[in-house]
Amino acid sequence: MRCLATTLALTLAAITTAGAGETVSIALPPESIALKAGSGMDQTQTACRMCHSLDYITTQPGGGAAQWQGVVTKMMKVYGAAISEQDVKLIEEYLATHYGPR
Amino acid sequence: MHHHLDEVTRRRFLLTAGVAAATIVGRRPSFAADVDSLLAGRPLVRYPEKTDLILLTARPPQLETPISYFDRAITPNDAFFVRYHVFPIPASVDLDQWRLEVKGHVDKPLSLSMDDLKKFPRTSVTAVAQCSGNSRGRFAPRVLGGQWGDGAMGNAVWTGARLQDVLKAAGARSGALDVTFDGLDKPAFPTVPDFVKALDLQRIMSDPEVIVAYEMNGQRLPMLNGFPARLVVPGWYATYWVKNLSEITVLTDRFEKFWMKPGYRIPDTPCGCVEPGTAPKNTVPITRMTVRSFIASPATGTRVAVNQPVVLKGIAFDGGYGIREVQVSDNLGITWSRAMLGPDHGRYSFREWSATWKPTGAGTARLMVRAFNSIGESQSYEPLWNPAGYLRNVIEQITLVVA
Repeated sequence: MRCLATTLALTLAAITTAGAGETVSIALPPESIALKAGSGMDQTQTACRMCHSLDYITTQPGGGAAQWQGVVTKMMKVYGAAISEQDVKLIEEYLATHYGPR
Repeated sequence: MHHHLDEVTRRRFLLTAGVAAATIVGRRPSFAADVDSLLAGRPLVRYPEKTDLILLTARPPQLETPISYFDRAITPNDAFFVRYHVFPIPASVDLDQWRLEVKGHVDKPLSLSMDDLKKFPRTSVTAVAQCSGNSRGRFAPRVLGGQWGDGAMGNAVWTGARLQDVLKAAGARSGALDVTFDGLDKPAFPTVPDFVKALDLQRIMSDPEVIVAYEMNGQRLPMLNGFPARLVVPGWYATYWVKNLSEITVLTDRFEKFWMKPGYRIPDTPCGCVEPGTAPKNTVPITRMTVRSFIASPATGTRVAVNQPVVLKGIAFDGGYGIREVQVSDNLGITWSRAMLGPDHGRYSFREWSATWKPTGAGTARLMVRAFNSIGESQSYEPLWNPAGYLRNVIEQITLVVA
């Protein structure tokens, strides 16, 4: 009961419901995550950052070549990432080397 | 608040508990073993209209609520988790410009302003929004996808217009089957599938608690939780709760684009699970949430004193049948004791619970919690598994260090 009462009290004290004329704007903080240095890092950063921040890589479970090949293939086939054949190889090797099984 | 626990002995669990006990004695978990290794490296960040949350990803933003907030029924707006699929997300919404379009197979297409939306009868429901992949990071074997801990969930009082009232005003024509929902988040590249979700029209028309919400805990929605309006589908995973809602489209067929198929699907088996590491034969869209319960306080790893009572607090919830009972165990499930339930905010809400536990000897204590809903569904000792990392509802536990 205490929690609901508190919530209601706060609500009544500071009721801010949206009405005509209101504009809400936000600015997202900068992306700060960096990849591990190594051959293929530049290509990996460039390709992946087109659509998402690099923590999409660093928070994944570490995996071998098969996992990262699967991921790169999915990014290209499902989401249409445009990566040259040469870069695909570099990126897959970079990921398997630096974000391999932990 | 302090009360004696009823002993509820569940002998049928003796065997399972015995196995668990043997494993744990063999491993002797240390204090360090109970630091959450999944979340250990993740920074706390402060995003607009938000308090400090655990960063999963920056773009699109995915932020997790720390477990300490789940010692109470209502999750504060600024602590509520954030999950987007595509980028950019809306950076600014001007209510003079914003409209909710209702179109497709309808008699009278609508273009609703916020004032128009507020003219529909106002209704509220207290309901849990939980990401389908909440706790995915705890799957073994590990699966790819957002590596959430347990904080991709929250509970709020949602207020808005009934979706069925909005659709009645537009007049869905006969032959209408699915209704799709799209928001202001739009992928930067046309090759990336836009985030669009679908509900069956009959399901909407038979459920007056599915709402287009413009208030969350009595305030306008934070932008990152869907300002100015979002869909609320009580009992179902949050994948359907489309944020920054802008378009509702009535279709004459079944909608099976990316985020409905192959996205957000579970094995077509009674448990929604398969043998770990294997692929399901058939899949169906994920829908209703499973039973879960958590101990939020004290935090795992906390040091407590022998013979000093400790108040355990947490929440339990399910997919809409309502929580009937919460139990805790300090002996790996050999016996269970009934916890005291907090006020009932409705069958879709978190149910707060508390229990008093008295440590009787020094060492490491393992405390487990499980819940039962009103149709007898509960949680299991062994986690289920599926390749997408959905539906997790294993019995949770914390460790306290008794000294």
